[in-house]
Amino acid sequence: MLTLLAKLLKALNSETSPWALAMAMVLGMILGLTPLWRVHNLIILLAALIFRVNLTLFLISFGVFSGLAYLLDPLFHEWGLAILQADSWQGIYEAIYATAAGRVSQFYHTITMGSLVFSLLISPVIAALTYFVVVNYRKHIQQTLLKLKIVQVIRGSRFWQLYMDLRG
Amino acid sequence: MKRSIIRWPGLAAFAAIVGLLVIVSWLFLDAILKVTLEYGLGRLNGAEVTIQKVEHKWSPLTLTAYDVQATDPAKPSHNQVQLEKFSADVSAAELLLGRIHIEQLDVVGVRVDQARKQGEGEVYVAPSKEDIKEWASGSWEQLKVSLPSTDEIVQQVGLQTEQILTEAETQIEQQREQFEQAKAALPTKETLQQYQQQVKAITEGKVEGLGDIAARKEKLDNVKAAIRQDKEAIQKFRQQLSESADVVKTQIARVKEAPENDINRIRNFFQLNESGLQNITGLLLGDKARQWSEYLLLAYEQLAPMLARSANTETVEKVRGEGESLSFVEDDAPPEFWIKQARTEVMIGDTAVNIDWQNITHQHDLLGQPTTYQARVDNGDLWQAFNLDGELSLLPSGIDAKQQWQLKGANVKNLGLSDSSELTAAITSALIDSDGRVLVRGNQLDGEAIIRMLDLAVTAQGSSKITNAIAQALAQLKRLDINTKVGGDILNPKLNLNSDLDQQLGKLLSQTAMAEAQTKLDDIKSELSGKVENQLGPKNQLLEDITQLNGQAESFDQQLEELLKAKIEDSLKDKLKDRLFGS
Repeated sequence: MLTLLAKLLKALNSETSPWALAMAMVLGMILGLTPLWRVHNLIILLAALIFRVNLTLFLISFGVFSGLAYLLDPLFHEWGLAILQADSWQGIYEAIYATAAGRVSQFYHTITMGSLVFSLLISPVIAALTYFVVVNYRKHIQQTLLKLKIVQVIRGSRFWQLYMDLRG
Repeated sequence: MKRSIIRWPGLAAFAAIVGLLVIVSWLFLDAILKVTLEYGLGRLNGAEVTIQKVEHKWSPLTLTAYDVQATDPAKPSHNQVQLEKFSADVSAAELLLGRIHIEQLDVVGVRVDQARKQGEGEVYVAPSKEDIKEWASGSWEQLKVSLPSTDEIVQQVGLQTEQILTEAETQIEQQREQFEQAKAALPTKETLQQYQQQVKAITEGKVEGLGDIAARKEKLDNVKAAIRQDKEAIQKFRQQLSESADVVKTQIARVKEAPENDINRIRNFFQLNESGLQNITGLLLGDKARQWSEYLLLAYEQLAPMLARSANTETVEKVRGEGESLSFVEDDAPPEFWIKQARTEVMIGDTAVNIDWQNITHQHDLLGQPTTYQARVDNGDLWQAFNLDGELSLLPSGIDAKQQWQLKGANVKNLGLSDSSELTAAITSALIDSDGRVLVRGNQLDGEAIIRMLDLAVTAQGSSKITNAIAQALAQLKRLDINTKVGGDILNPKLNLNSDLDQQLGKLLSQTAMAEAQTKLDDIKSELSGKVENQLGPKNQLLEDITQLNGQAESFDQQLEELLKAKIEDSLKDKLKDRLFGS
């Protein structure tokens, strides 16, 4: 856990692009909010691995949003049900349902549909928010934090040693 | 140097992860299938389903499961159904399209209502108390009827002879008073003689002229008025006599009948009717009939509810956070779940009954055909002939189905019927014929069957007075026809058994009770009769008096009537004529 936190701090304090961190946050969120054993999550995993996004933040985001998903599942079910029962979309759903890809995607599952639509809708917001936080952290907070006594205490701790080791 | 946006080693990592997943799935596919099947079937069943082992074969794609046991949610100590093995040839092409099409399903060693060897199974959806099948209306321990002692019955019946005697005495006494009053108002013999003398004096003797005739006429009219008054009193008296005689006769008859009536009422109390006996047929045969019906209604009791539940997500209890999978199947699409051919080997005792099935699905509207099944076993170990066929469709309105069967010459030997502390009973031997039909419309069962037990030999032993009497009666049975009615909801069928057993037992039990009570009843009757005789003596005397007095009053009445006929005009006029004309 300490290693993971140290890695996160390293990423925040490094030259890693804020967009790479933002993308990691978004991909981790989609993986966390939607049911795990779904084909679209293979695409998310592939994207996280093949594109140069920060894997530490991806894993942290996945963990945090998985916890949130447990609380939000009833809402996802309601939203998914409403989307899947929308009259004007029935024809499209029937067409997708008749294909192997449609069946494998499990789009017809209420929580899958609800959570995926929700994740995609808030993805731009999460991406922009992450970008904003990272940029502002580096610009304003990083220097202020270093001056705090508590931070100076931490800098003398084992955690700091670990962090420094990681930085190489 | 600006790094590329693509991280190529990531692709290798992805391939490694996917590869690992495939290998794990491949290696543990049977275990994954086992857990998935146990979970899915368990939810459909509403209680724990255990599978000992699952095996698969890729070409042709075949799935085999061994020792499948589905716990009965209403009786977790038993399996609702269990089977030794099932094997399914799955269509791989349809599976890729998300449809489970099984070309051939073979199910071996199906048994119902078997005790679970591994203890109680977990229940996911406990049936409500109302849902638990009420096959028999109770148990022997709850049998309400008992054979009371004569004293208890006498106390409960409340003998009426004495009360009737008292009432009769009061009424007869009233009549006596009225009779005495009427008697006091009667003219005496002397009065009658006086009237006769007066009439004679008026109508006879020397006539002195017309003035004398007029005076005599007036006197005669006065006498006649007095006679009429007395005649009226006599009539009243006779009327009273008649009334009193009727009342006294009625009361005497009532009193005479009272002891016999009391005895009859006691006898009636010994007559045990069907409601008093409860449904002995249900108590005795309900459990066996339930077991037999579970085989006969196998298609409805096991398959239909599971298919119905799988078709309707609302009937399966939702697990929090699991969501629902909706179906968007087109009207002309093949069913999502379709077993084209199946053969189930149902075990009844040691005899295997093969049932052939066609078109098992929960989407009959898509298939356009019902699920059909047939079973034929001739010259088996258990019977001469057995024939069953039926069909089943799950429609938006519910389950529609029909089934009929004929069973001939089933040999039953040492079939335990009851093994309670109150009564142990077993059919030593019997030959059973049965035929019946069941219709299902909109989930509602409607069916009837007749079970004929011939050459019946029953051994039974009771531990109480009543069950001992029942046991004796059962031992005398040679033939029993049981009418069975099936009704209620398909998920909660109700079985009603009817036979003449209850009536036969009622009669036999009454006879037993009466035989024991006969001496006591004779004593009661003689005691009551003695009382009645003692009290009736004086009352009979009154009736005799009344009869005698009625004769006397009638004679008086006739005499007075004669007196009233006397006419002064004619007799005296004749005398006056004689005097005037000397003729």
